[in-house]
Amino acid sequence: MLPSFAYVRPTTLKAAVAALAAPGTRAHAGGTDLLGCLRDRVFPADTLVSLAGLPELVGVTPTAEGGLRLGAMTTVATVAGHPDIAARYRALAEAAAAVASPQLRNQGTLGGNLCQRPRCWYFRGDFHCARKGGGKCFAVDGENRYHCVFGGETCFIVHPSDTAPALVALDALVRLAGAGGSRVVPLEKFFVPPSADFTRETVLEPGEVLTEVVVPAPPAGARSTYRKVRARGAWDFALAGAAVSLGIEGGRVKHARVVLSGAAPIPWRVPAAEQALIGHRLDGATIARAADAAVAGAEPLADNAYKVPLLRCAVEEALTALNS
Amino acid sequence: MSPVCFAPDSGGGGGASTPAPWGETKVVGARLPRVDAYERVSGSAVYTLDLQLPGMLHAAIVRCPHAHARVKRIDTAKAETMPGVRGVLTGESPGAAIPWYQGREGPLSLLFDPHCRHEGEEVAAVAADTALQAHDAARAVVVEYEELPFVVDPDKALAPDAPKVHDWGNLLGQPRVTTRGDVAAGFAAADAVVEMTFRTPVQMHTPMEVHVSVAQWDGDRLTVWDSTQGVYAIREALAGALKLPLASVRVVGHYMGGGFGSKLELGKYTVIAALLARRLGRPVKAALTREETFLVAGNRPSNVITLKAGAKRDGALTALEARLSGPVGAYPTSAVSAYQIGDLYTCPNVKFETTNILIHAGKARPFRAPGFPSCNWALEQVVDTLAEKLGLDPVELRLKNIPTVSQLNDNAPYTSTGLARCLTEGAVAFGWTEARRRPKTAGHLRRGVGVAAGMWGYGGDPNATAIVTLYADGSVNLNTGASDLGTGTKTVLAMVVAEELGVAPDRIQVEHADTATTKFAPSSGGSQTVLVNSPAVRAAAIEVKRQVLEIAARQLDKPVGDLAVADGAVVVAGAGGKRVPFSELKGLGERRMLVGVGMRHPHPEGKLALPFAAQFAEVEVDTRSGAVRVLRVLAAQDSGRVMNRLTFNNQVFGGVVQGLGFALTEERVLDRATGKMVNANWHDYKVPTMLDSPAEAECLPIDPHDTECNTVGAKGLGEPAHIPAATAIANAIHDAVGVRPLEAPVTPARLVALLAAQERKG
Repeated sequence: MLPSFAYVRPTTLKAAVAALAAPGTRAHAGGTDLLGCLRDRVFPADTLVSLAGLPELVGVTPTAEGGLRLGAMTTVATVAGHPDIAARYRALAEAAAAVASPQLRNQGTLGGNLCQRPRCWYFRGDFHCARKGGGKCFAVDGENRYHCVFGGETCFIVHPSDTAPALVALDALVRLAGAGGSRVVPLEKFFVPPSADFTRETVLEPGEVLTEVVVPAPPAGARSTYRKVRARGAWDFALAGAAVSLGIEGGRVKHARVVLSGAAPIPWRVPAAEQALIGHRLDGATIARAADAAVAGAEPLADNAYKVPLLRCAVEEALTALNS
Repeated sequence: MSPVCFAPDSGGGGGASTPAPWGETKVVGARLPRVDAYERVSGSAVYTLDLQLPGMLHAAIVRCPHAHARVKRIDTAKAETMPGVRGVLTGESPGAAIPWYQGREGPLSLLFDPHCRHEGEEVAAVAADTALQAHDAARAVVVEYEELPFVVDPDKALAPDAPKVHDWGNLLGQPRVTTRGDVAAGFAAADAVVEMTFRTPVQMHTPMEVHVSVAQWDGDRLTVWDSTQGVYAIREALAGALKLPLASVRVVGHYMGGGFGSKLELGKYTVIAALLARRLGRPVKAALTREETFLVAGNRPSNVITLKAGAKRDGALTALEARLSGPVGAYPTSAVSAYQIGDLYTCPNVKFETTNILIHAGKARPFRAPGFPSCNWALEQVVDTLAEKLGLDPVELRLKNIPTVSQLNDNAPYTSTGLARCLTEGAVAFGWTEARRRPKTAGHLRRGVGVAAGMWGYGGDPNATAIVTLYADGSVNLNTGASDLGTGTKTVLAMVVAEELGVAPDRIQVEHADTATTKFAPSSGGSQTVLVNSPAVRAAAIEVKRQVLEIAARQLDKPVGDLAVADGAVVVAGAGGKRVPFSELKGLGERRMLVGVGMRHPHPEGKLALPFAAQFAEVEVDTRSGAVRVLRVLAAQDSGRVMNRLTFNNQVFGGVVQGLGFALTEERVLDRATGKMVNANWHDYKVPTMLDSPAEAECLPIDPHDTECNTVGAKGLGEPAHIPAATAIANAIHDAVGVRPLEAPVTPARLVALLAAQERKG
């Protein structure tokens, strides 16, 4: 059952940031993840600071540099259905469309999708795990079929977002507003691996709010896609997935980003796979080499070795789709 | 003259006046939307969970968070002072020392047992003004536990050093062996022998409406609204627990959001609501959270089944030998059923051993054909493998072994069996032969088709009583104790009245599932609801019709034989026959109502009336991702007469999708280190979504026109629609990719591993 909490809805970003500086506060965007966390006692909150009174955080607009600015409060459904995004940033549109269910996409926001907490069933359940300050990971020797095969250390979550790997593949930036103004961070640097700090997933400081995502103009000959493998057709996080963004000129790959989902505690960029692509024609042999490189060095746990072929398959299928 | 006039001898039970089978029906069998469809979809239907009584309090239950622990101390001081809290109940509270779960030598536990044998066992309860306050206070109850060693893995529970669930150990009774013929001789005579070991998952019921009761006292009389499958069964158990006369307990269960077998038995929450309501003098609602239902409201036990089968070259089975075991949870019930091994096919030599194991997990409850889908998973894959070995079409091999008698019941004949027709007509409708001939694609998307047959082993309770009342204006009250789980019971029973009494279904008000206002009906479970209650309803309607015709005969001065009922009126035979609406019958106007009581007629002596099924599935397997898409399903069901084609289809499609969950996605996961369930919620426990459901599902009723099973010709449907569904998918997966999915659910993880092993083997 949901515990009791106070609720405020500031109408300026400044007021919201000020409210969020107080201890015991949490930002409330779509609430699809936050309310579940509170109900399941994953973390407490005395006060929820709603961001719904900030219309400037909603919407998709072109930037002067030829990219797109997506307000953090833009719903996932809007991102999935936006014609400019579908035309120029296909991986993002596909990733947004693969999120959860229609109801959750209508309510959930892009910012919330990037900031959502892990879905590890020990973290979400009645287990005092390392990420909750318990000093112990239950998954590493426990029920770990849905856990990570890359980047695990102390904690073995996978990053749950579908839009995050797509946006990392698209070289997105995020703007974080705080009491002292705002800062811009490459999305890739926004996520914190457990090796750096296993108690947080992002670089957001207390009192900071993610306000917008900026995707730069796509490279020449750009094409991108997102492939998600899951256990059921809707309302499910990725078992394995791959976001791929390429720039192809003169029949050869000039620019490549390969980012895995369902693989690691953060969206898992694989430079080796990108190197396997750059300078080559996107043929079957290149695709196979890149797919092999994408999963090289995976360290499966007892129950999740199946993820390695699934991730390889996701990369292969994503690249094959971009080849046609 | 008394307003109530009925003659049980002429219309009710007793074989002497058994009515003739229906010929062509006007209403029964039609595609009639549910009589309560508008209420259900508009939100105006009041389910138990929706019920609000004046002054009603809400209960929340303190539960043991450990797989095995002893309660050392409970401190309720803080909880009692929290906002809105009206009372706290523990095992020490007056009247709360209620025994629970019967063993052979007395009760095994208590309502609040300090010895907690699984996660979620009840420790204390709180009542407060709101549900949120109650749950806050429940969390504030301080309980000191001594954690004890546990075993939740049934494979380890019988080891000599395994922690014991009860003092007497973890083996429930002794393994039971059933033998027919000589299996050794049978295998010796076989041309092909197959032996495999299968594993099935613990599947959770997850009905839409959670488990919930509202209790209210009036002096020493108790009324309980309960989301239950059977108000009479709950009343008996509740009266027993509280030591009340049956007459002092009323149980009401109107709108109901599903149960699948998990709402057949009395829940502790019901007794807790009653105790708190009595103490506090106010009505109390006790609703489980979704998470609680996963821990304490039952499950389908996992099974390990080793099955060996032998057959002659022509497909005739020579022997079946099986060992089945499964965990019942922490308290006695049954985890396995070998029924189909013993009876689905003709086989002279059969031996099976069943073992029930205790573990530190929530007790199993009946779940849509208890034991049958799991047994089917083994039997129908083994039969398929035999067909492959012998080079026979799987349908052909099954047809070689169709029984007309129950070998498990002294060869008693069936009143009807449509099993052969389900297979042959189902195969034609599905396009089985063509689909099997289609060349397999070489790419990573492979298609395959599979078939599985099945049967259900229960023919229904013997007793049910219904009352039909015709009022002076021609409207009708149908009174039945039956619960409608959402399957359309009210609709089907109203159609029986409409058929017999010639009134439109919308003139019939159904009053049901209330022990104070209706007569006995058995619980809606075991696929018996329609076949047990429809004959009683039909008898009651016939009795009212008899009285109507008698009154009309006097009024019209015609012999009864010249009269009939149709469209709410008595009609005189012959062209241009006079028509007298019921409302213009003088005798009815004087009496104001005509009442007919009907009882179920006895089962046919020495025969069994059971339903059969064969289901066909086509799947597409992605060999890279291990994803299985069920493209289409055809369900051929011999459930006798189709009472309502819409609710029939609903039952079948629901059964197929629940089977799809069993086959592909659903599985309880217990943490090996703590014994706690890690996926006790609707996200991590993966019930299939609409996107996972077959794009094409077709239902083919096979009606053998059974005139012996009962007076309406219907057999059970809810369970046989579910039993073979998972296995048809498993066999289709094998057809597609050539690996045998021995373990359910066939997740991408398992299938990728199977395919990799196949590749290694070359």
